Amino acid sequence: MKKHAVFGAALGAVVGAMLAATAGATTAQAADREIVIGYQAPLSGDRSQYGEMFRNAAQIKLEEFNASGKLAGAKVAITFEDSKDDPKEARNIAHKFLDNSKIVGVIGDFSSTVSMAAGEIYAAEKMPQLSQTASHPDFTKLSPWQFRNITTQAFEGPYNADWIIAAGKKTAAVIYIQNDWGISALDGFVSGFKAKGGKITATEAFNPGNRDFRSILTKVARQKPDVIYLAMFYEEGAAFAQQREQLGIKIPLYGTSSLYSPKLIELGRESVEGLHLATTFTPDNPDPAVQTFVKEYAARFKSEPGMFAAQAYDAVGIMLDAVAKAGPSVTRESLRDALAATTGYPGVTGATSFDPVTREPAKALAKMMVKDGRFQVVTGP
Amino acid sequence: MDVNVPDARLMPDTLAPPAAFSGRGRRFAWTLLLLAVAFGAVPAAIVGTGSSYLAQIAITTMIFVILSASLNHVTGTAGLLSIGHAAFYGIGAYAAALLSTRLGLPFIVTLPAAGLIAALFGFLVALPTMRLVSIYFAVATLGIGEMIYVVLLNWVDVTRGPMGIRGIPPIELFGWQADTLLSRYLAVAVIAVACVWVLHRLTHSYYGNALRALREDDQCADSMGINVERLKIESFVVATFFAGIAGALLAHTSAYIAPDNFRFMESILILAMVVVGGLGSLPGAVVGALFMIVLPEALRDIGDYRMIAVGATMFLSILLLPKGMLAEGTALGFVRRSFSRGWATIAGGTPVGWK
Repeated sequence: MKKHAVFGAALGAVVGAMLAATAGATTAQAADREIVIGYQAPLSGDRSQYGEMFRNAAQIKLEEFNASGKLAGAKVAITFEDSKDDPKEARNIAHKFLDNSKIVGVIGDFSSTVSMAAGEIYAAEKMPQLSQTASHPDFTKLSPWQFRNITTQAFEGPYNADWIIAAGKKTAAVIYIQNDWGISALDGFVSGFKAKGGKITATEAFNPGNRDFRSILTKVARQKPDVIYLAMFYEEGAAFAQQREQLGIKIPLYGTSSLYSPKLIELGRESVEGLHLATTFTPDNPDPAVQTFVKEYAARFKSEPGMFAAQAYDAVGIMLDAVAKAGPSVTRESLRDALAATTGYPGVTGATSFDPVTREPAKALAKMMVKDGRFQVVTGP
Repeated sequence: MDVNVPDARLMPDTLAPPAAFSGRGRRFAWTLLLLAVAFGAVPAAIVGTGSSYLAQIAITTMIFVILSASLNHVTGTAGLLSIGHAAFYGIGAYAAALLSTRLGLPFIVTLPAAGLIAALFGFLVALPTMRLVSIYFAVATLGIGEMIYVVLLNWVDVTRGPMGIRGIPPIELFGWQADTLLSRYLAVAVIAVACVWVLHRLTHSYYGNALRALREDDQCADSMGINVERLKIESFVVATFFAGIAGALLAHTSAYIAPDNFRFMESILILAMVVVGGLGSLPGAVVGALFMIVLPEALRDIGDYRMIAVGATMFLSILLLPKGMLAEGTALGFVRRSFSRGWATIAGGTPVGWK
């Protein structure tokens, strides 16, 4: 009998916990108009460093916005939820945000898989979603409710290809990370490079988490391409550059904007000297908007903001400006329309406009190279 | 282990009508209570609160109940530590997704097909690995799980690799479409309950005793005339079949799947559900799944410390309840008494064996 009671109690406790969890989600409405933006990001787990940057940048932008008085008669708040970079959690969060009638728009998630898992729900339930980083080609095709503030590799690849060709280099080997983003980076660059008359000598994939590139390097170097194009993140990029130096290979490196981080130089030291990349954001940019952001971020969080923090800062800015445009009586529908009408938003990642049909962002990229242990803007080819 | 206490006072059912009657009454009471929670209380809570969040959690929980109950069958009952369960979940999900998006097959076909395809892979994996014991088998399943994950990630022509598969149609049966969250939950719950019932009949029977015997000492079981290798293969195939079913449910309820849904950590999560609930205990596996899905959601409001709190709770639960929340012995006794699956004995005696 005692064991029955224990079982019954366990069952009761679990059901109770489920009900309590919902009760938390449906708290009473405040009398004043409070507009809430949901922000889902990996705040714990493997990718938490990105979520942390997003949250930091979002807080700065939100305070600036509320202090600016752009939106009279309402106050905007951001609710953060931790998705752990897990599609299962992202679906739960999507429904949690949908249940909250104060939430008119959502920013996030970080990776494309997780953004799309939640995106399927936002598309079906009509909630505007703006991801600062999801670059999957299908993301904005889910529905008219999806937006992103990152130029995809379909834009960046041909841009870099033009740059390399203009520098008089005709053959390239591509090393890419084996995930959705890596494949789109490969496709974007290869098609752009071939269209300009360049020749691809090799394309080599590696699995996420791999840190040993010696066999790939040896194989690729044998064909003597003019450049090696890296489609990867800074951790792998630094390891790649170091192993290239150890093997004595002198072929110049070009890379995707994802390599752009102070950590690349910190980890790769002299080996990353001469690496070229084009990026939307550089903390050295003399633009006052960029300098205000960089100073504020460094003062608060004791680190220089990278591209990811800047993307989030602008994503929040675009979302908040759309809220201001839609006015204090903003709804999910009117916010979507206001977002779709975004033209020339003056952000720190370049002026951003959304294409009215595809909802893809267009931005101007800055050409950079690593010189004397720091990223410097390159003028000319 | 107090699993199968021989009882000389065993009596046929017919000679003890009052005991049998009360047993049947209790059996109905518990069955009704469990069905009332799954099909009464939870739907009522979803409708009452109008919360789609609750519905989503309930769907995820039901899918993980199937995963945890099926892993318990092979790891808890038969004692084969498998740490690649998520891979079979993935095979089922991809099978259902591809069959429905590429060939346009209806849910009534994709659901069993997903289970059968996962079971086929389970069978192929089981053939060479069944002679491995303890940690060696675990490492083999770890390797196979990773292999399957890498194939899902890299076989771009078929799986679309990391791009995942989009536009998987929702659950549909003979023209009835589960397009609201509540109906989706009900469809998943019916299938989950059916799966748990099948696993219950397999585990709580003399067949289940044979599995427990080979777990305790496979050489001894072999010498008693039990076909050890065949039983091991069967238990693995059954477990992978149900993992495939769970995968099909995920595919049809979430519309989008990608290899990231089936990472190694997912296998570990399922294993944690089984261990926290009680290794070898089917009710424990169900409670473990509930616990491990609901707890992180219930703790959302505490913010950054959420996963620390989840970890601490798991640690404490294993420290204080090393046999799990519902230990195997307790669970078997409970099933025998409360579902009257054991033979009735003289008043007050321990029920034994299985009906």
